[in-house]
Formats: sequence, C-alpha cells, structure tokens
Amino acid sequence: MNVHDWALVIFTILAQMSVGSFVALGIVYSYANRKAGPNEADLMCDLALWPIGGILILGMLASLLHLGNPLNAYRAVFNIGSSWLSMEIASGVLFAAFGALFTLMQWRKIGSFAMRNVVAWIAALIGLWLVYSMSQVYMLRTVPTWDVWTTPVTFFTTTLLLGVLAIGTVFAANYTLLQRRNSAHTDVQAGLLRNTLRGVSVAAVLLLGIEFVIIPMHYAVLAAGSPVTVAAVSNLMSESGLLLGLRLALVFIGAGFLAVFGYRYTFRPGHEGSLGVLVYVAFALVLVAEVLGRVLFYASYANIGL
Amino acid sequence: MSENGYAFYFDSTACTGCKTCQIACKDKHDLAVGVNWRRVYEVSGGDWVLDEGGYRNSVFGYYMSLACNHCANPICLEVCPTKAISKRDDGIVLIDQNACIGCRYCEWACPYGAPQFQDDIGRMSKCTLCYDYIDEGKSPACVAACPSRALDFGPLDEMEAKYGETSELHRVAEIYPLPDPSLTEPSLIVKPHRNAVNAANQPARVANTEEV
Repeated sequence: MNVHDWALVIFTILAQMSVGSFVALGIVYSYANRKAGPNEADLMCDLALWPIGGILILGMLASLLHLGNPLNAYRAVFNIGSSWLSMEIASGVLFAAFGALFTLMQWRKIGSFAMRNVVAWIAALIGLWLVYSMSQVYMLRTVPTWDVWTTPVTFFTTTLLLGVLAIGTVFAANYTLLQRRNSAHTDVQAGLLRNTLRGVSVAAVLLLGIEFVIIPMHYAVLAAGSPVTVAAVSNLMSESGLLLGLRLALVFIGAGFLAVFGYRYTFRPGHEGSLGVLVYVAFALVLVAEVLGRVLFYASYANIGL
Repeated sequence: MSENGYAFYFDSTACTGCKTCQIACKDKHDLAVGVNWRRVYEVSGGDWVLDEGGYRNSVFGYYMSLACNHCANPICLEVCPTKAISKRDDGIVLIDQNACIGCRYCEWACPYGAPQFQDDIGRMSKCTLCYDYIDEGKSPACVAACPSRALDFGPLDEMEAKYGETSELHRVAEIYPLPDPSLTEPSLIVKPHRNAVNAANQPARVANTEEV
C-alpha cells in the first residue's frame, strides 16, 4: 500500500459513508415525522446533515491526494460516457451539490415540505448512483480480481452499514446535545432515539450478517477463477491473512455487540447514555473493519497481463 | 483502423534478452530511472520431473520485449477520465500530458504495463512509437537498435504479410505472459519462442519483476 492507495481508501469509505448516512437519515426522518411530527423530526435530524456533508467533502479532498497533478482535477469529468471514473466524479459532485441544496433548504426552511422532499430524493438517488459508479470503476475487464459481482455488492453493503451506524452515532450525539441544553423535548426525543437505535441495531446486524457471508464468498469466487485470481488469493492469504482474520473478527464482534446490548437497552427508557456508548463503539469497530476490508481490496489488485 | 495502423513485430526466438531496445528507448526519450517505455520480460519455468525412475529437469526460459501495442481497442483510452489519451489516424496511441491528471487509472487497466507514471511531473507517459522518427522516415529507436533484429515495425497488414504464419499466433494463442488479445486487440505480432508452449502448460513466471 502506498500513499495513493490510502487516498482512495479514505475517499471511497467516506463517500460511501456519506451516501449511506443520507439515505438512512431520510428513512429515519420519515419515521420520526410520522411518529412525532415535523418539529421533533427536524430537531432530531437537521444537525446530522452537516457531518454528512463534512465527510463527503473530506473524502473528495482526500481523492485529490491520489492525483499526481491535482491542478488538472477538473478535467476528470471530461470522458463521461466512456470512463466510469468520470461518471464517479461527476455523480460525486452532483450528490454534493444536491445534498448542499437540500441542507440549505432544510436549514432555512426554504420551499414547501414536498419540494424539499423531492430534492432529498434526487440527492439520495444520485448518491446511490455514485456508489454504483464507484464499483464500476473497478470492474475492469483486465483486472479479474476486481471484476467480480462481489465488488458492487460489497460496496453497497459498506455504504448501508457505515451509513446506519454513522447516523446512529450522530443521533446519539445530537441527543446528548439536547440534554445539555435542557431541551423541553428530551422525553419525546429519547423515545425516538431508542426506537431509531433499535432499527439501526437490527439493520446493522443484518448487514453484518450479509458481510459475513459475502467476504468468504468473494475469496471463494476468486479462488475458483483463472490462474491470475488464484495466485492473487494465495498471495493475499500469505501476506495479509492476519488482516483478513482481524476484519472478520471485528465484523463478528460488532454484530454480536449490537445484537446483545442493542436489544437490551432500546426497550428500557433511561439508558440512553449507555445506548450512546454502544453505538459509538459499534461504529468504531465496524469502521475499522471496513477500512481494513478496503485496504485488502486495493491490495488484491492483479492484472490479467503484465 | 488498426489494419492500416502501425504495429510492432517481435521475434521471441531471436531475442537474447540484452535489453538494448529498452536502453535505446530510454536514451531517445530521456526517461528517468523507473520509467521504461519498452520492457524486456524474462520468462522462466520448469521443475524436476520424474521420468522412468530418474529425475530430469524441464526448465526453460525466453524473453518478451514489449512497449505499447497501440491497440485497436485501447482500454487506456477508454478509461482515461480526462480524454488525455487519443489515437491518431495512423493508429499511434498518445498521452497528452497537459491534460493528464496522474490518476494512474490507465496504468491499472493496461494489460501490457505500457503507461508509466512519471514521479517528477506527476503524469503518465508511454511509448510514442517514435512518431517523430517515423515522420522522418526512420525506424523507432528500439527497432533500429536491436542487435539480433528481433524487432520490426510497420503497418499491421504489411507486418502480417511479411511475417506470414507467425502472425496467426498472436491472434489465436495466448503467449505467456501476454493476455487474451481479444481484450484490447493489440497491434502486435509475436513469433513465439518454442518454449511458449511449455509456459502455457505449466507454471511459468516473469523472473525479473524488479526490472520491468
């Protein structure tokens, strides 16, 4: 791994986390809106838009570190229609633009509720298209270790997994903030938080379960492939087998942790503090696991030729 | 286009692995250490084989000199996000360094290792087929320099006519370590070494990875 690859690890992880969080935020918002009305939903969700935008911008800045000649970066969208890399950058910029527009509208309450909803939907769909484009960047017919169906599946799993956990973390932090301000809304917010974090736990456990199946399947697909992929897998196992084991262990611990404690605390009012710690720890564990996974993904590069 | 475009011819049976082509290229284009527009790959393989109660060896080796194959269907051009890579009417694939952002995506994609990252300027470069020499009616530096005349160049159809049956081989057979030619349709004609067959049937490797 060199500096260039690290820039890509940071970019892809943060951009996917941003998309996943935005989608998860939309789902939670519509739930909170139905349950407690738009004011409580705003109080719970509005602040979350800022870190979502922040990590996206951070990720895009990191991607510039990958370039040997960043001053020309604007040219990266010139070959749209042929290069998925152009598509990736273009959809990343569009996602950022629509996300920023929505944040502005939501923050200043510009436009009707329906109008803001439409902008949010557009942003979310562009975000998902961004994740798809990102996966297609690696589906090169000359790179058999990446050109497998598990690549897009893994990218989307990472997106949703980091998304739900990151947004859960932000909600927990937002709740602590409201408590510090002695907000009159804490009771309603505590209820919303517990229910949301229960949903987050269930979704995360499911996604971690999928990952626990997909990771071995990915290596099985490669091991059953051409001599190039077979050699790449055996190299990876001998050089980075420990990292892979660590990643699987973290996925397992993260899932187990959420399943046991998430279930215990989300049904009991008054344990919001412990719930917060739970979601912070789970997010940290899974983030490390996903970064490790992405590092291994880049390390698995093998060209069909030279 | 490629039928009329330029192609390299490489005779693997004549190559001695001296790397004069590589050095002539470096000299002509003033390439830095680590940037090799032409590379000579040393292929080797074989092992001890049990044969009628005794062991004999089946070791073999041969060379493969490669630059850019100026493919008919160049994946570098297809994936380059900035359109910095273009193909001229005569088939020569070129990188415009003013447009290049140094993302190295072409380096990932190319199955021949042709695009090279230039650390000093943060951009990609690769074989230009010495189009300036061609315009002057001269041969590319590598072709002119080869002491065993293992390299030649010319329009693809002329090369195919000139080297006859050998040209079939780059179309139908994979010669280790070359990838399936249908991926990018390289303008390359290789006369395979007799041991290329061995490489296809038993483990072979590029032995000089630190050099290429």
